Amino acid sequence: MTDERLVQLITEAVLKQLGKVPAQCSQDEIVFSDNSMKAVDGILPDLTTPANKAQVTVKNPDDKDAIAQMKTKTSARIGIGKAGARLKTNTYLTLRADHAGARDAVFRDVSHDFLKEMKLFSVDTMCSSRNEHLTRPDLGRQLSDDVKRELKSKCQLSPRVQIYVSDGLSSQAIEANIKDTLPALLDGLQGFGIGTGTPFFVRYGRVAAMDAISETLDAEVTCVLIGERPGLATANSMSAYIAYRATVGMPESRRTVVSNIHSGGIPPVEAGAHIAQVIKTMLEAKKSGVDLQL
Amino acid sequence: MAASMLSVGIDIGTSTTSMVVSRLYVENTASCFAVPHVVITKKEIIYRGYIYQTPLLGGEKIDIDRVSKILKQEYQNAGITPDMIQTGAVIITGESSRKENAALVTEKMSNLAGDFVVATAGPDLESIIAGKGAGAQDYSKENNRCVANLDIGGGTTNIAVFDHGELTGKGCYDIGGRLIKVEDQKITYISERLLPIIRSLGIQIKVGDTADVTTIKKITDRMAAILGESIGVLPVTDLCESSKTLTSTPLVITKPVEQITFSGGVADYIYSPSDQWFKHGDIGPLLAQSIIDSQWFKSSHVLPAKETIRATVVGAGSYTTSVSGSTITFSDQNILPLKNIPVFIPSALAEQEAVEGQYETYKNEAQWFLSESGMENILFTLPRTVQPGYKEVCQLADVFFEVSKMIKNDQPLLILTESDFAKALGQAVRRRIGESRSLVCIDSVHVESGDYLDLGLPMMNGMVIPVVVKTLIFG
Amino acid sequence: MILKTRLAGHTYEFKSVKEVMAKANEQKSGDILAGIAAESDSERIAAKEVLANLLMSDLRNNPAVDYDIDDVTRMDQDGVNASVYNRIKNMTVGEFREWILDYNTKEDDLKAISKGLTAEMIAGVTKLMSNLDLVYAANKIRIHSTCNTTAGIRGTFSTRLQPNHPTDDIEGITASLFEGLSYGCGDMLVGLNPVNDTISSCSEILKRFHEVKTKWQIPTQNCVLAHITTQIEAVKQGAPTDLIFQSIAGSQKGNEAFGFTTDIIREADALLRVKGTAKGENVLYFETGQGSELSSNAHYGADQVTMEARCYAYAKQFKPFMVNTVVGFIGPEYLYDSKQVIRAGLEDHFMGKLTGIPMGCDCCYTNHMLADQNDLEILTLSLAAAGCNYVIGVPASDDVMLNYQSNSYQDAAAVREILGLRPIREFEIWLEKMGIMENGKLTPIAGDASIFSGKGGF
Repeated sequence: MTDERLVQLITEAVLKQLGKVPAQCSQDEIVFSDNSMKAVDGILPDLTTPANKAQVTVKNPDDKDAIAQMKTKTSARIGIGKAGARLKTNTYLTLRADHAGARDAVFRDVSHDFLKEMKLFSVDTMCSSRNEHLTRPDLGRQLSDDVKRELKSKCQLSPRVQIYVSDGLSSQAIEANIKDTLPALLDGLQGFGIGTGTPFFVRYGRVAAMDAISETLDAEVTCVLIGERPGLATANSMSAYIAYRATVGMPESRRTVVSNIHSGGIPPVEAGAHIAQVIKTMLEAKKSGVDLQL
Repeated sequence: MAASMLSVGIDIGTSTTSMVVSRLYVENTASCFAVPHVVITKKEIIYRGYIYQTPLLGGEKIDIDRVSKILKQEYQNAGITPDMIQTGAVIITGESSRKENAALVTEKMSNLAGDFVVATAGPDLESIIAGKGAGAQDYSKENNRCVANLDIGGGTTNIAVFDHGELTGKGCYDIGGRLIKVEDQKITYISERLLPIIRSLGIQIKVGDTADVTTIKKITDRMAAILGESIGVLPVTDLCESSKTLTSTPLVITKPVEQITFSGGVADYIYSPSDQWFKHGDIGPLLAQSIIDSQWFKSSHVLPAKETIRATVVGAGSYTTSVSGSTITFSDQNILPLKNIPVFIPSALAEQEAVEGQYETYKNEAQWFLSESGMENILFTLPRTVQPGYKEVCQLADVFFEVSKMIKNDQPLLILTESDFAKALGQAVRRRIGESRSLVCIDSVHVESGDYLDLGLPMMNGMVIPVVVKTLIFG
Repeated sequence: MILKTRLAGHTYEFKSVKEVMAKANEQKSGDILAGIAAESDSERIAAKEVLANLLMSDLRNNPAVDYDIDDVTRMDQDGVNASVYNRIKNMTVGEFREWILDYNTKEDDLKAISKGLTAEMIAGVTKLMSNLDLVYAANKIRIHSTCNTTAGIRGTFSTRLQPNHPTDDIEGITASLFEGLSYGCGDMLVGLNPVNDTISSCSEILKRFHEVKTKWQIPTQNCVLAHITTQIEAVKQGAPTDLIFQSIAGSQKGNEAFGFTTDIIREADALLRVKGTAKGENVLYFETGQGSELSSNAHYGADQVTMEARCYAYAKQFKPFMVNTVVGFIGPEYLYDSKQVIRAGLEDHFMGKLTGIPMGCDCCYTNHMLADQNDLEILTLSLAAAGCNYVIGVPASDDVMLNYQSNSYQDAAAVREILGLRPIREFEIWLEKMGIMENGKLTPIAGDASIFSGKGGF
């Protein structure tokens, strides 16, 4: 310690004794060491990773280990600490990053390359844009006559099971899961000796578009694999809605739902196998939704 | 939708034998929009049996006939018959399990208990079961604490340590209440496992001597200290090392123990002391007093156990059964239940190659394991593969098609994956092996090398299969 | 009754009061979806001008849903105090707006006049108010209600602690609960939205809440927001609850779509008086939100502000402890962006207060609407300034079960500091005892949940 610094410290101590603490009593650098992110190879680490979210950032907790354990019991953002009565920078930016990811998942389209790889041809509902899709659920349930004609010409008519894919509220969920769920489902049904129609993709789709599709193609069971509204935890969650002899205007209670399909929920492969089983049961019972005891 | 099963726990210990009957409730806890998730939601003890002295022949062998008689009486008291029981476990604990006729006892139990599943415990499993039965695991989970349970029986003390609900240590020491026996104020028996302790104290004591409380208390004081050493609250001495039960795993304390529960017969005298020192013809109450008097006990946070003398039997009845994952495949209910299936754990290499679609290494290892086991069938597992893609599932199905050829045609193909993909894998395997062979493919059960598995009858409309994972000590 | 006006030389004529009401609304995507919104901004203002010159009696005499087919209309109309109504029935709606805002109109005057108002009258005047008008007017009114503690006293700003969990894991719920308490949240309510609507799950969670409340002697209220019939069964089987919850709509048909009837609410209220754990007289909790009637096709061609006002008229019948609009939850087809959400939040709060119910707000947004954290915070601060009874608190704004964002546990603390507001007094004393709050500010240990779960914890 230099003499100069020593003098400064003594002065401060004396002033403090006298109750006269200067406004700027210290020239020390302000250090908040507990929430700095360490760069690796010249790049800052990813805010959205589980490792970042698993950190306990409460300052001087009574029992840090207990908080770490609490964090293992919920995906809620707890053990985060505070800056005044506000969020810490890392917590705040992580929240915003997850929200940004969710928003991007809603507003993006499923890529052409992906549809080509999955050998799915694509049609639109009556919606003409993403914004219209969000604000006009009525149009997202309907197909134009042109689209109906196209489906009839390209698809096998009167299939036992018609499976199709739709973006719904998350294109990202489709790209993340379809590669595993769709073939597991198709092969599963084939293994049960159940024939399936021609799969395709519907852009700007709402769930109830399946009713129009069921009527157009005269399917016994119709199943749509559709992107769920993204949450912050994942934008990859997909649902399957399945109905026996779906018709336009039928009650919602006639749909059977398998939700939460993603790598952190129901694994996409296992979901495909499960849906195949559900469809088999549905064909045997000739009913769906609340009437179908699974 | 909910269902339940009756489970029986039978504990044949060094000094006492007891039985409990529990009802295990299973329920689908997923919302109706999700894939089912069936779990055991509640465990209810519906019959608590008497505590019997374990009948022995000549102080060594378990008297099978008298044990049978006791259990028949207990079944009657409980108002149940063996055919009502779906699952459970028989635990032959402490010194007795090393007795030569234990294997015979197990067989006899199996007959008596009808179709229910029989398991026998080694000291490690026994420690875990007692710890769960005593409530140490639940305390640890609820309080976010590191909790040790010491189950002090006649021959041994079984220790399990749980941190935040997870098992972090298990061990067993030859410290118990019946290592010295007393009749009419005379010492009638001294276990040879006590001799190093007696020698270290420089005490002269032998069978036939008058039982002197002061002398014996010196021995039990040392025994109590060894327990303190075992859980890391006292510095470890050589005597602690040498008191370790031979067949048990060394107890490693990774984190300071914060709270302690006591179970086993001796625990009752810890929680409610008595000065009728030889009322049971042994040194149990004295050992309890020595523990109470010890400094390490006074400075520890001791919790009341949920079960004391019945901890092991309650553990056996309520905590040995789990359920499989809720999306599984089985072709034929009639092949169930299945008992004592040896668990084949492939090497990491064999499993990795199998995921890539190459079957040779997996098949060779399994073939070797099958012939070593001397059994007709084994459980094929994939313990490391996590969430494979559909391509990998198909490759694995190809592998199991090849592997299935090594077992006889009349045997079912039994597959277990630790990660949740048994339904997809099962369907894919089914398409390859056809209808001629039965298939069971389940997931979400943790198994290790040396384990055996029992599969119960499917429940909840075939959504799940009850499972008991166990170690057989007379394999 | 004049339904015609000129604006900038253009004539606008409306066919009915219902049409005037719909078109006088600030722009909402839900009204557009219903096909009843004004077609231009000018038409909107024309409708406001016509509305401003209608009499209050015109609004009373034109309920959105017919008296004969709807119990919400019947209860609202039958509950009007005739002598109070007679004092204002010949005022125009525009005059009524000015009377509300007038310096000489005090809290007691507003509460007194409330007895002579129907939902349509309240909705009507709301459509003539700017956002600051709504804050200014609502701030005159405080509505008190008493369960275990008394909420809504001037100077307090409360929170419902919402410790939701994606699978209802009891330990995970408890973890979020402790976290919230450590930030001084939960003076209004500890209330969970369950995933599993089963009696056993609902009971188990209620028991845990009760254990925590008892062990730490927390002066607050508990509730699990399962379907009302599930909660009733749970209470019958002995589950400890202070409040019973239900989502409500502004028409009988809408309520039927939610799966309950008025009799069921009365049954719940009566049951809690016998088997509930609350000490006070207000034991019900309702949630609402603009657009829910349209989503169940139970709006009868009326706009969503009017239907929302009818929810409050309905809620008033049961003297609830708390009511809040879940303002940004329903999605962009009803409230498109932050502008519409903020507007709706201020409208709903004002309408609730003028109706005479203890009004809070779940300031929130979903991921498919054009709103974010910044918008939610603006709404929260505005509502607190307006005297809103309470907002919601979830960990870092992220509700991991409902998949939307609401206020963070920290938000209420910041707003209290900025506006000099406090938690409910008993709860504040408890926070001080726990070392979480001092002089209305969070202490350094606030936010450390391990004071509950750690050594010697639960």
